[in-house]
Amino acid sequence: MNLEKLEKQVTLLEDIQEIENLQKLYGYYFDYSMFPEVMGLFSENTDSVEVTGHGVFRGKEGARRMYEAMLATKRSGWIFFEIMQSQGVVDIATDGKTATGCWYTPSFECRPFGGAQRQTWQFGIYDNEYIKENGKWYFKKLRWSLIFWTSFESGFLKVPRLTDDLAFPNADASPTAYHPYPSRYHVPFPFKHPVADA
Amino acid sequence: MHKQVLLQRWSNMNLEELEKQVQLQEDIQEIEHLQRTYGYYFDNHMWQEIVDLFSDNAESVEIIDHGLFYGKKGVRRIYWDMFAGGGKPRQWPAWEQWSVIQIGGVVDVSPDGKTAWGRWQTWLTESLPLGAFPHNEWSHGYYENKYVKEDGKWKFSKLHWNDTFCTPIEHGWLKNAQLGWMPLPDADAPPTAFHPYPSGYHVPYHYKNPITGK
Repeated sequence: MNLEKLEKQVTLLEDIQEIENLQKLYGYYFDYSMFPEVMGLFSENTDSVEVTGHGVFRGKEGARRMYEAMLATKRSGWIFFEIMQSQGVVDIATDGKTATGCWYTPSFECRPFGGAQRQTWQFGIYDNEYIKENGKWYFKKLRWSLIFWTSFESGFLKVPRLTDDLAFPNADASPTAYHPYPSRYHVPFPFKHPVADA
Repeated sequence: MHKQVLLQRWSNMNLEELEKQVQLQEDIQEIEHLQRTYGYYFDNHMWQEIVDLFSDNAESVEIIDHGLFYGKKGVRRIYWDMFAGGGKPRQWPAWEQWSVIQIGGVVDVSPDGKTAWGRWQTWLTESLPLGAFPHNEWSHGYYENKYVKEDGKWKFSKLHWNDTFCTPIEHGWLKNAQLGWMPLPDADAPPTAFHPYPSGYHVPYHYKNPITGK
């Protein structure tokens, strides 16, 4: 391998590594409601963010609106999220400028619900896009589809979701990816089949 | 930290620069494996193997709420003398087990390539005796660990695990966030930060925001 080819290989590995870190940092910041830190991970040219049934928010401005509603208010200690960013598959485009990532998120949560404190399990899946700008990777598009949201006591078979996640009133468009269990919906994978699509 | 090195280079890297980049990738990979290997050993009660993953110059081990253990001596005391019962053959009942899943590692290698930090989270299931009865629990926690490279190998220099909650499967974290409190008698010092749910405590990060640098 010549030096140029080798450098390309190294860059590819570095890109994957950096995007994996970006996604995990997002998770750690989100869980701790660190609103400015979360926003700093999004490109100025953000395409859109969409989380469960809350609707589509366009551009960095839209992302700010959505995360502000979710993260910017101070909450008491018993309200918490532990969303585990698991099983990432990251693919870099051939030009090295954009990438996609697919991740699972098992999570434990505690939130107020119908005037009561509830402990819940929530599982979902990300299909995200990333963009490299000035040598750094940022989120370009984030989409998280809910699989189930059940109470700790009931389980997803009995209670697939505690209630429907309604669209935020300030969303730019209706949700595109809200088909929770047991809908049989499959999130379209951003990656290609390594053998069949090779 | 290493991100700055990345920024400095574009194309036309010379062999030396390229080697440095490859080295960094190898280091991260090796540390990720070290951490996951620790997890597999831990789940299988392989205590001597765990002691060997620590540097002879290890700073400390702290597994909340057991307390703080200093130096490699402390490493031996907690894993070998206490967990392994000093090597005496010990019958673990078959039902007694745990799986501590090592998730979400963010590893940062220092610019000189000799030390590193890693943040991980752990989701775990365990069945342990509590009082006279078997108990099964869900637990969650964070690691903030430090690693050191010695003679070309990465080892643990400091291990800190902080638990978010530890709850019986029958109850859940809202009803019973912390099943028990188990300070070990031989610790060198009490835990530095044991604030389980619902305290709202945030385990401090070793890293700066890679985008804003804050």
